[in-house]
Amino acid sequence: MGGAEQAVARIREEPDVVTGDGAPAARAPAGQASAGWKVLPIVEGLVLLIALVLPWVLQDYLTVFATRVVILALFALSFDLVWGYAGIMSFGQALFFGAAGYGVALLARDLNVTSILLILPAGTLIGLTASLLLGGFLLLGRYPSSVIFVSLGTLTGSYAADRLARGWYYLGGQNGIPSIPPLTLGSYEFEEGPVYYYMVLGILVVVYLLCRFLVRSQFGLALAGLRENEQRIAFFGYKAQHLKAIIFAVGGTIAGLAGSLYAFHEGFVWPNMLGVVFSTQVVLYVLFGGSGTLIGAVIGTVIIEGVSFWLSDNYRDVWPIILGVLLLLVIMFRPLGLVSLVLGERERVGSFGKAPKPKETGNAAP
Amino acid sequence: MASTFAAVFEIVSFGAIIVLVVLGLGIIASMMGIFNFAQGEFVLLGAYVTYLAYAHGAPVWAGMVAAPFVVGAIGFVLEALIIRRFYAAPIVAMLGTYALGLIIRESVRGLIGGFYLTVPEPIGGSIDLGSVHISAWRFTIIVITLVVMGGCYLLLARTNFGLRVRATLENPALARASGISTPLIYGATFAFGAALAGLAGALIVPVFSLFADLGIRFLIQGFVAVMVGGVGSFIGPVAGAGVIGTLSAALPWVMSPVVADVLVFVLAIAFIKFRPQGLIAGKGV
Repeated sequence: MGGAEQAVARIREEPDVVTGDGAPAARAPAGQASAGWKVLPIVEGLVLLIALVLPWVLQDYLTVFATRVVILALFALSFDLVWGYAGIMSFGQALFFGAAGYGVALLARDLNVTSILLILPAGTLIGLTASLLLGGFLLLGRYPSSVIFVSLGTLTGSYAADRLARGWYYLGGQNGIPSIPPLTLGSYEFEEGPVYYYMVLGILVVVYLLCRFLVRSQFGLALAGLRENEQRIAFFGYKAQHLKAIIFAVGGTIAGLAGSLYAFHEGFVWPNMLGVVFSTQVVLYVLFGGSGTLIGAVIGTVIIEGVSFWLSDNYRDVWPIILGVLLLLVIMFRPLGLVSLVLGERERVGSFGKAPKPKETGNAAP
Repeated sequence: MASTFAAVFEIVSFGAIIVLVVLGLGIIASMMGIFNFAQGEFVLLGAYVTYLAYAHGAPVWAGMVAAPFVVGAIGFVLEALIIRRFYAAPIVAMLGTYALGLIIRESVRGLIGGFYLTVPEPIGGSIDLGSVHISAWRFTIIVITLVVMGGCYLLLARTNFGLRVRATLENPALARASGISTPLIYGATFAFGAALAGLAGALIVPVFSLFADLGIRFLIQGFVAVMVGGVGSFIGPVAGAGVIGTLSAALPWVMSPVVADVLVFVLAIAFIKFRPQGLIAGKGV
């Protein structure tokens, strides 16, 4: 599908910013109102600060809600890597999230495994395996797959898994698997509340930093190139399909981690976790917050979940409609999401690898 | 013998329903190159219009006649306001129509609540063929599907309008240079596709009853059918719909319905993987 690459380029508006010397371009003072100031670290620091003090100011039941949001932010991060950085439209990201959730729920139910040291690696492994299988099938092969095929393939996979979980008695059918015991470390039980919150937040921060390192590395540069112009990257000698499959598997792994945390936090898993509902939500978070910036995924999740929680008493019925309208407006008028309100294009694309010494920037700027 | 005939009838009638749903989707995908994720919601709207007419005391058939026109008009307006911006970018079109679908679906959900609302069949009863009884309404759906399919083919292959649509598909720049108003053609094609979805929704609502998630199920099946059949031609998606519809209806007779449901999707995706151009490659009608 020839128009596919165009589409991806179109949504980012400025395809050529990424080429060549990203680093000097990002530092070039010309035309930058806030020369010398970087907005991204400030935004990231602020979000982290708020996240850290949150349990001190919130009531207990709100901390439980905040924990859920942090887990969903982790999930959103996985989708952002796949779509925002590699341009793979994964409409079925919930498949990995839910598969890991179901997997660890079965471990807990049938084998009485609740140790965090086993559960999290197991969930991660399930996510990795599932995404490797699906990604390998959809993305690799003799013919490069069209974007439409990949998005439909992931959507169908997620939908089929949903149907399977609903109809399979072993997995609890419509009701899912209820009353999963709490996560344990030795004899300590992770109950819902501040401890669980900080544990999840810690995981999110670690994963975030790893992702940040990944997208700012040489690999990330190749990914960005892939997103902007797949053909050109292929001509440079990169195996474009392999890159895609790798990042898809990384995304699936993170989604698996999030899914296992979610299953134990909620205490039950149900078919929606695998299916179209959650897959849709994660797309909403990322597009709304701003795809292609890791922090955008987190902010989008927090805002959408927060507002939806806040409105849930009075406007439960209207909220999904408002959400749809907002999403449509964002897609039409602000394809880079809310974060682009404060984040310039240069900083969004960012610098890759090691930054050059400041004195060299003058002559390196194009 | 009798049960075999009944089974075959079931399979054919379900296949006809899928063909009906896919027809509009296929025309929009093939003729305009965008995958309309709101198509399932157009089906839902068609069903809803029929229900509204019925709830306000009008005969059901009147609602069914009105549904394609109402949905077609809505499609025309949406195309002019929103879809038009997305033609250059298929992925953005997917996301945009998806958002549109979300809005429509949730609005309808708000209007009908979480209920399953039933609409009676305008032609009730059954047709007796010896010892076999087949549902008269399902039989009517098969007939209407055949008529609509033939009509669409004639419209696209034999009329002036169809020629313009195909010209616009083949080479928009040349079509514009020849004096064809391509925006108008796109608008009309989209409205036509939406109207077909509306008709499908109106016809199937007595069989499936009305609920907010009615569209999603058909949307995914429809997309898979379009991809299996092959994008770009008229006959491709129809053939794909026939295959997918027949498989979805036939497999549950020989295995557990859950496995059958999933198996159809797996087979379809595997097929598309190894034959990306679909059953029927090539453009045109």
